[in-house]
Parts: sequence; structure tokens; C-alpha cells
Amino acid sequence: MGTTKASVAGLFLLAILVVCALSVGPQGFGWGDGGSLVLLRAPRVLAALAAGLALGIGGAAQQGVFRNPLADPGLTGVFGGALFGIALLLGCSPESAWQRAWFLPAAAFGGALGTSALLALWGTGGSSARLLLTGLGLNAFTAAGTLVIAARSGESRELLTNGAYGDWLGMATFELTWLPVLLCGLAALALLSLSRSLDLLAFGEDAARGFGGDVTGARRRAVLLTALAAAAATCLVGQVAFIGLLAPHLARALVGPRHAKVLPFSALLGAALLLGADTLGRGLWPHAPLSAAAVTAVIGAPLFIWIARRSHA
Amino acid sequence: MPDLPLRAGGLGVELAGRRIIDGVSIRAEHCQTIALVGPNGAGKTTLLRALAGLIASTGELHVADHDPRLVSAETAARSRAYCAQKPTCAWDYRVGDLGEIVGDSESFATWLAELGLEGFADRRLTELSGGEQKAAHLAMTFAALAEPYGGVLLLDEPAAALDLSRREAVRRAIRSFAQAGAACVVATHDLGFARDCDQVIVLAEGRMVASGRPADVLTPEVIASVWGEGSSPAA
Repeated sequence: MGTTKASVAGLFLLAILVVCALSVGPQGFGWGDGGSLVLLRAPRVLAALAAGLALGIGGAAQQGVFRNPLADPGLTGVFGGALFGIALLLGCSPESAWQRAWFLPAAAFGGALGTSALLALWGTGGSSARLLLTGLGLNAFTAAGTLVIAARSGESRELLTNGAYGDWLGMATFELTWLPVLLCGLAALALLSLSRSLDLLAFGEDAARGFGGDVTGARRRAVLLTALAAAAATCLVGQVAFIGLLAPHLARALVGPRHAKVLPFSALLGAALLLGADTLGRGLWPHAPLSAAAVTAVIGAPLFIWIARRSHA
Repeated sequence: MPDLPLRAGGLGVELAGRRIIDGVSIRAEHCQTIALVGPNGAGKTTLLRALAGLIASTGELHVADHDPRLVSAETAARSRAYCAQKPTCAWDYRVGDLGEIVGDSESFATWLAELGLEGFADRRLTELSGGEQKAAHLAMTFAALAEPYGGVLLLDEPAAALDLSRREAVRRAIRSFAQAGAACVVATHDLGFARDCDQVIVLAEGRMVASGRPADVLTPEVIASVWGEGSSPAA
């Protein structure tokens, strides 16, 4: 598909999804008097869009920097690290965690950056299996850590469990979400500037350096910004697998592998996927909505297998 | 007087505690082509990567007026190009994308045609044969050397995977870069090609065993001592 056609189709799809998302909820179908329901639902829609955008572009950036189509912050423990950071803060001092808007995002960023750094340190320089196994190990460790803290902290238990199931979108209010939404946008914008470096990195470190690419700098920026995107997205939805994997694959299938296209399209598709999943979960069962993560997995898994089967790599 | 394009003195490389390159000295003038020969595992690839400034090394190194280990990758790339023996690419780009990525589509298209890949711009890399892929990467490398005069072209077995006509095309490319004032260093097992070069450096176990004009270096004695008795000097 041509890039222009794909952009128009993608943005049109996203616009329809936004309208649908603003129209459904437990209060019934419609926008309410003078759009009152729209205002009520807007934070959740905005949070889903921002988180999906960050998840999609974060996945594309991580795949690019590790030259690995299976690298996904959801699989490699970066989202796990973000949630673990939040769990640590909530476990250590549940009261102070909410005092400043930036405390929870900062804790998530710390956790995500920690796992990203360990992944870059232990997982690179070998085969692609080494990267993924290191990531899976980090993911298992952080998930276990989060559950241990959840089990030991009475008041945060439900909150953390919901986070592990990617079920935080329902809590979205403007007060809670403005900072993570802003951070998602900033991380995504900054990641767009890495497209040339990621294209060069595709040819390996030697070739990338040989062609004049600043490999060390690009890698450092990508790890930092992916951690930021993961942290901000986790603050909004909790843990969601698949979007970081699926969005870049769909993007490559639609517009080809150049990162100047893959990065923005992964963001667009990630936003559409997460918002679509959340809207579907709410629309089908308005009074007991399914979490965005669950719907994403239900839609994403078969789609992913379909992509895997039709790819010749 | 302009400096030599390539000057290395007492170059040493250690990888994982093992000395891979030990005390190699090279001087290449403008328009010179140097063949780097030696048995498998002699250190040819490591030496090329060290000359390109891609790995840490000790000793003196000047490539086109600067030490590539000390300047930014961007500065180094303007006057030095390197192509690995087995280039890889993680994503299935179109051949034409390679020219855009390296920043000179026009020059890339010219080299593509030279290397027998005219009309391949819209094909995907995975649709190409191994030799065609190597040729595409070579075209990318040639297009990357924006300033041939006084520049350095470092090629690791450029012709090994190629058919006869592409082999000849690569030889022509190397000659044209040399004529434009570059110094070319080519790692090769093709002693026939080496005999046509201006200098030959024989590497064995990381050390320079012999260097100089092909006729002086590629003698039956040197060949027998490096590759073993029974190796054909005519190879």
C-alpha cells in the first residue's frame, strides 16, 4: 500500500474509533446532554490513544535498535520493569506515591530504565536468542517482584494486580493522566528523530559506524526513550503485551521497513489497536468491561500468527 | 605536499585477551591498491576493521588526514568506506532504499548499474541471490565514499561471492577509485588479483610476513612458507 493511502486510511480509522470510544460506556450509548458524557470519557480515550501510541513506537524502536523483529518491550521486561518500579514505590510508601504527579511516572521510568539497561548490557553482542532469553528472564523477575509486593501490601494489592492485567484505563482522570499522556507524546516525538540511525543500524554495528552513524549515541537515546515511552504507557494502562510486537509488524507489512515510515505508523496503529481494544471491551460488556490488555491479546494473537505465516523471513 | 591517504604504524589489536593483530605497518599513497592476503584466520578482517577505526587498536593510524578512532563516525565516513565480507541487513528493504539510507541515491544507482543490478531498485533484498545482495552492499559502500581523492576504500573479499562478470565489475570499480586518488585495501584469496595490485601485504597469525611489490612478495618461497608446501604458486 502507498504511504499516503495508508496514512489517510489509518487516520480515518483512528477518527472513527475515537468517535466510537467517546460514545460508549456504562451510562449508555451517546454523548449526553451538551456532551457531558464525552467529557467524562475523554480522559480514558486520551489515555488509551497516548499509551497505544507509545507502545507502538516503543516496540518499533526496540526492534530497530536490537535488529530483532521479536524484541518487544512487553516481552523483554521493559514494561515489567516499569510496573515493578511503580510497585516498589507503592510498596515502600503508599501515601507519598500520590503526592506529586511525577512520583509514579518517575518510579516507572526508573524501573523501565533499569531493565532496559540490563537488557542492553546482558542481552546484546550474541545471538537473537540471547536477547530474548535475557528479556524473558528480566520479565519473569519483574513480574514476580510486582506480585510479591502486591501480595504483601494490603491497600495497593488490587491496584497492582489490575496493573499487571492491564486494567488501569478505567481509572483515567485528567488529573491522573495529563503527565503520562504528555510524556508518551514527547517520547514518541523524540523517537521519530532516530529513524535514520535505526535504518543504518539494520546493517549491523560495523556497517552503521562505517557509514557514519553514531551507533553508541543512537542506541543510548533509543534505550532511554523506549524506557520513557514504556513507563508513561504503563502509568496509563498497566501491562499490555502484543501491541509493541504487532504494531511494527503491521506497519512494515503496510508501508515497508524504512524507519521514517515504520515509527510513525507503529505509533498510529498502536493507538488504534489499544483504543479499539478498550472500546470493544467496554462496548460489548458496559457493566463489566474486559481489560484493554485482554482484548488486545484476543485480537492480537491470531493476527500475529497470520503475520508470522505470511512473512518470508 | 598532501599527506598519505593511509598510514598505520605498529598497529595492534587485542580481542578477548588474544592478540589478533601485532605490529602491522602500512603506507598507501594516492591511487594505490593494496592486496591483503593470508590464510584463513590470519587477521585480515580484523586488520581492515582496525584500519576503518571500527574496533579499538593500539599504534599509529592516519586515514585521510585524521585518526578514525578520534573523530566522529560521520567525519570518518566522509573519506573512508568499508564493506564487510558478509554484509547483513535486519529488515527487508527495497534495493533502492539502500541508496537513500547511505545518502546518495544517484551515485548508488550508478554503481548498481555498474555491478549488473540495473532495474533492481524495486526488488526486496530477500528476493536477491547471495551474490546480488553482496553487489548491492558494495554499491552502497561505493556510493558512501563521497570524497574519493585522498580517501580510503577498505573491502573484505569483495569478489568472493560474485560471478565472473561482477568480479570484473568490482575490479573496474576499485581501479576507478584508485584513479580518482583513493587508496584501496582489499582482503582477498585471489592471488591473481593480488599480482595486479601496487602492493601486497602477506598476513599470517596477525603479523606481517612480507610486504612490497607483488613480484617481490608473491614468490614460491613465501607462498610455501605461509600457505604450506604444495600450495600452487600459480593460484
